[in-house]
Amino acid sequence: MMAAISMQPDELVLREAATWWLRLRETHVPEESVGQWLTWMDSDECHPRAFDQIGELTEQFATADEATRMRLIAVLAAPAAPFVAPVAPKVEPRARRARWPVYVAAIAASLVVAVFAGRLLDRQARDNVSAGQRYASSVGQNEDISLPDGSSIALGGASALTTRYDNGHRLIELDTGEAFFHVAHDEKRPFVVTAGPLAIRDLGTAFNVRRTDQRVIVAVTEGRVRIAPAGRSTTNDGTVQSALEAVAGQQVSYDPVTAAMTVSNVEPEHAVAWRSNRLEFDNELVSVVVANINRYSRRPVQIADARLGAMTFTGTVKIDSIDSWLDALPQVFPVRVSSFADRIVLSRAERK
Amino acid sequence: MLNPESMDNRHVSDDVPIDAQAPTDRAARVAKLFDEHNRSLVAFLQCRLNSRADAQEVAQEVYVRMLSLDENVRVDSPKALMFRIASNLAVDGIRKHAVRNNAPVDPDTDDWHRPPIPERHTDAIQQWGVIEEALRELPPKTRRAFVMHMIEGREFGTVAQVMNLSERMVRYHVSNALAHCRARCNRAETP
Repeated sequence: MMAAISMQPDELVLREAATWWLRLRETHVPEESVGQWLTWMDSDECHPRAFDQIGELTEQFATADEATRMRLIAVLAAPAAPFVAPVAPKVEPRARRARWPVYVAAIAASLVVAVFAGRLLDRQARDNVSAGQRYASSVGQNEDISLPDGSSIALGGASALTTRYDNGHRLIELDTGEAFFHVAHDEKRPFVVTAGPLAIRDLGTAFNVRRTDQRVIVAVTEGRVRIAPAGRSTTNDGTVQSALEAVAGQQVSYDPVTAAMTVSNVEPEHAVAWRSNRLEFDNELVSVVVANINRYSRRPVQIADARLGAMTFTGTVKIDSIDSWLDALPQVFPVRVSSFADRIVLSRAERK
Repeated sequence: MLNPESMDNRHVSDDVPIDAQAPTDRAARVAKLFDEHNRSLVAFLQCRLNSRADAQEVAQEVYVRMLSLDENVRVDSPKALMFRIASNLAVDGIRKHAVRNNAPVDPDTDDWHRPPIPERHTDAIQQWGVIEEALRELPPKTRRAFVMHMIEGREFGTVAQVMNLSERMVRYHVSNALAHCRARCNRAETP
């Protein structure tokens, strides 16, 4: 082969090529445009090659399989900013920032990252010695709670919380499950919800908290909240810890594995869909999905294979038709659903 | 040893009018036209059809149409006509695409004698990893416009509406993303 190895077109030439490419793809292309494009093609030997390369790339995108497209959308559409505030010291912000520079910029724009002495919440908790009032709902049963200050709580199935009120504080501890808080704002008596690793402070608000063990998702439907790590503010020198504020339409997820909070956008209706008997999950671990379904399922669902639990699910589960959701599961996941009198077991389907 | 046909060909240049002439002469001119512009023609069709294979197939068809033009019609600019025919066939091609994809390949129609499609140096890009990395490096707006148009397949108008940008800006973002992506792929291939 005598073909000379031609130079790779640089990014500027590729930009011209891509601009032409998009122009020629329009439904109606005037003949003059084709003529101009041909002139461009002939004006440098690099141009046809650049144009071909852009074509190759777009064809690759057009013919990508569904799995690839889904992955690209998930990774690039960026519903979330994976790193906002370090909650545990082991997290290395620098490394994460380096990998996610654009996200950090996006957060800075959309979020007010507040810094405050995390001690405050702790002191409040320490000072409060009242026994409190405990509320617990049974499986499949949502409960509405009216509090003496005019605030109200909608408690999801199989959920439990304790309220501790005194003159200076309103403290709620979400032990497990999900609750939607509509808070009568009172600056003198801060309303603080602790959910495992997180403390959520009302700043004039309605918000939803879902706690699945140490995994917590806070979705703000009105006003805003301040979210800080709970009970981790005990440094002797009063080190200032970072917290963040989330506003209506945002949700903050705490992942216990990375010990990081991530912020994403959420439709308010989406966040409290459970009150309309729909459980909404967005890219959620199957293990977490199942744990939440179990708050509503007559028969508990068990996962027999940890690899299943590590897969993720996005979609809606209707509380009144959990069984049909389970029946459809093998179409989406490599899973076998075995139904017993007292439980349902998800095991990994053997490869054919 | 000269035959009449090759003597005629000496004077055929790029975009000369096709007159009502002897069929062999016309065929030679069309062949020359394709030799000179085949790359652009296929590139144009690939752009319209977003498929290299379809583009090559339709290019063959353009060639056949050019050959079978009415001999009494004088064509002022064969090159322009060639792209006009290509443009029209591409629209048909898009329409028929689904049908053809389902039809079995016919070995007789699959291999035309003319024009020769020059072997292209393929710069196949298979590494999604490089592409993914490249897209991550883009500013959020550029990335979003790109994902919505190229991956989710939304029209420019829709993307513009959702992002509250002009269509022009959306195109700008998408072409920048394509260029950046491809430049990164090229760099990754260079040892």
